[in-house]
Amino acid sequence: MSSISREWLIKRILLVAAMVVVLGLAMVVYFMAKESLPAFREAGPANLFSATWSPRDGRYGMLVFLVGTLTTAAGGLLLGTPLALSLALFLTQVAPRRSRALFSRGVEILAGIPSIVLGWLGFTMLVPWIRKLSGSSGSGILAASIILAVMVIPTITAISKDALEAVPASYAQASLAVGATRWQTTWRVLLPAARPGILAAVILGLGRAVGETMAVAMVIGPASVFPTSLTTPTHTLTTKILMEMGESTGVQRSSLFAMGLVLLLLAMALVLLVRRVSGGPFKYGVVE
Amino acid sequence: MNAGTAGNGPRHTVLRRPGARDGGFGEGDEALRVMERAAGVDEGKAGLTEGSAGQGEKPAQRPGVKPLYLGRKDRIAEAAEKAARRAFLADRVARLGIWSLSALALSVVALVIGVILWNGLGTALSPSFLFGKPEAMREGGGIWPMVVSSFYLAALTLLMVIPLGVGAAVYMSEFAGEGRLTRLVRFGADSLSAVPSVVFGIFGMVVFVIYLDLGYSLLAGALTLTLLNLPTVMRSAEEAVRSVPVSYREAALALGCTRWETVKRAVLPVAMPGITTGAILCVGRIVGESAAVIYTVGLFVRKVPWSPLRPAAPMAANIWHMYTEGALVPDWFRVASGEAAFLLLLVLTLNLAARWVAGAVRKRMGYRV
Repeated sequence: MSSISREWLIKRILLVAAMVVVLGLAMVVYFMAKESLPAFREAGPANLFSATWSPRDGRYGMLVFLVGTLTTAAGGLLLGTPLALSLALFLTQVAPRRSRALFSRGVEILAGIPSIVLGWLGFTMLVPWIRKLSGSSGSGILAASIILAVMVIPTITAISKDALEAVPASYAQASLAVGATRWQTTWRVLLPAARPGILAAVILGLGRAVGETMAVAMVIGPASVFPTSLTTPTHTLTTKILMEMGESTGVQRSSLFAMGLVLLLLAMALVLLVRRVSGGPFKYGVVE
Repeated sequence: MNAGTAGNGPRHTVLRRPGARDGGFGEGDEALRVMERAAGVDEGKAGLTEGSAGQGEKPAQRPGVKPLYLGRKDRIAEAAEKAARRAFLADRVARLGIWSLSALALSVVALVIGVILWNGLGTALSPSFLFGKPEAMREGGGIWPMVVSSFYLAALTLLMVIPLGVGAAVYMSEFAGEGRLTRLVRFGADSLSAVPSVVFGIFGMVVFVIYLDLGYSLLAGALTLTLLNLPTVMRSAEEAVRSVPVSYREAALALGCTRWETVKRAVLPVAMPGITTGAILCVGRIVGESAAVIYTVGLFVRKVPWSPLRPAAPMAANIWHMYTEGALVPDWFRVASGEAAFLLLLVLTLNLAARWVAGAVRKRMGYRV
């Protein structure tokens, strides 16, 4: 084979490899839509997005779980973002220069801890604590939010750290040169300059919190009703899918796929939002 | 605000400074204003400035406010000092806040690792547990089939995801220009990486387990995890490939290499440390993944699954099994804690190994990226 045609062939093969992600995404979207079609056809959107989940009576409402997903994710961000941002500032501004690498490693390790392990920790330690303190069952939105906060910290920290480090050093130098303190420089110069990156970091953290399954499943409940407090059991979209997919059939199974479709669309909306905010393709994937 | 508008309204008259009368705001006034603002001094109240009846009259004294009809320089100095003091204080407070919040976050890391290892490491490192047969209805079972499942699954997945990911990365950085196609691929990778793992799980169940009729099997799981990990592997490989200096490519091309020969002989060898790091970290993610595995591979097995077409039970999925069906295994708590500790230890080791390998390979090649 001549080297020209070999080049041509190799280029085509590599192109196919690159197109696998596109094809994969298309397949995921297609099959989620296809499998959730029976639910939309037989139960109808009004039923699917109602607040009652009771398959025995033909009620397949996912509102409770959608609310569960959004509240736990919001709680996780609320607890995690301040910690993650101060950690990012700590790692770029405050920490002694020599120990920065060590602390960064600590954050990376947190990113690598499997979610099932964090869930197990939540189940064996966090939930009993909350149970003792609140006198309730212990599992619920509070426990899930705390676990999710731990999970979003590495994501938000790493990306905001990158954003802060990408601010040209001359910005900070100029600010310091006119007599601003470190904090004034950070607050008025660095943070505004890094804002798009930090915003993207928070949105990606939100994506991680919305999609998290195992860790939340071990501390959330389970119950298919709105929680009456932060420490009463409920469900999120992901945990509901996880718990019931094994033993459901027909419209019930299809409505679980509809929840998967909602999650998928939510995730893709967040991706578009990040692209919008940060003005271009962002760093995807798990933070390493 | 400038001198021209100074007399137009009551607001401006109040804010006007003595200096405004003679020839507008000089630079000193501007500086004073800035400093006052920085110091948080409310211009109307603090007595640093006068009212509209500025010329010659004494300013009305307010209770609790030091009468300040000082010279201009003094006022500037005072405001500056006040601003500096406040800024210094804010700096201190902020530093303290950052230190304490970061200490909290880092101690959470230490706590998580410490508790998991404390609870399970003893179990995890005993050979009878690690290499033992799992038991149901009886205590003292081991996790050997689960350990094998995890590594088997990781190996199968890597076999697919590394060629695909590196190939895609090479295409994106070496062959494709910026165009509609690359944008499409990037969007695909971004979106795929954001898809929740449980969605991958039920997708794999429908497509690989049921539609392709693979059943609950290692292969079905590996295909699912390939899709799940592809964006990340692609990303790390692309970073590694892009970090190879252009001069390497130019040298190879100048010697008459084709594009592919350049990639094969000059780019990929240099990018290898980065690609290896990505692959090792990918192993960590595969053995830790459970949501995408439960409905494609399985939760519990008695025997080591030697064929990729057999159901298996990676450790992560087995922890979930212990959590939900714990009643079947009397010492489920011990088993799950042991598995959690072993998984954590594995991930920590892989994390260290990834850095070490990258460093070692780089050193041997005498090349720093």
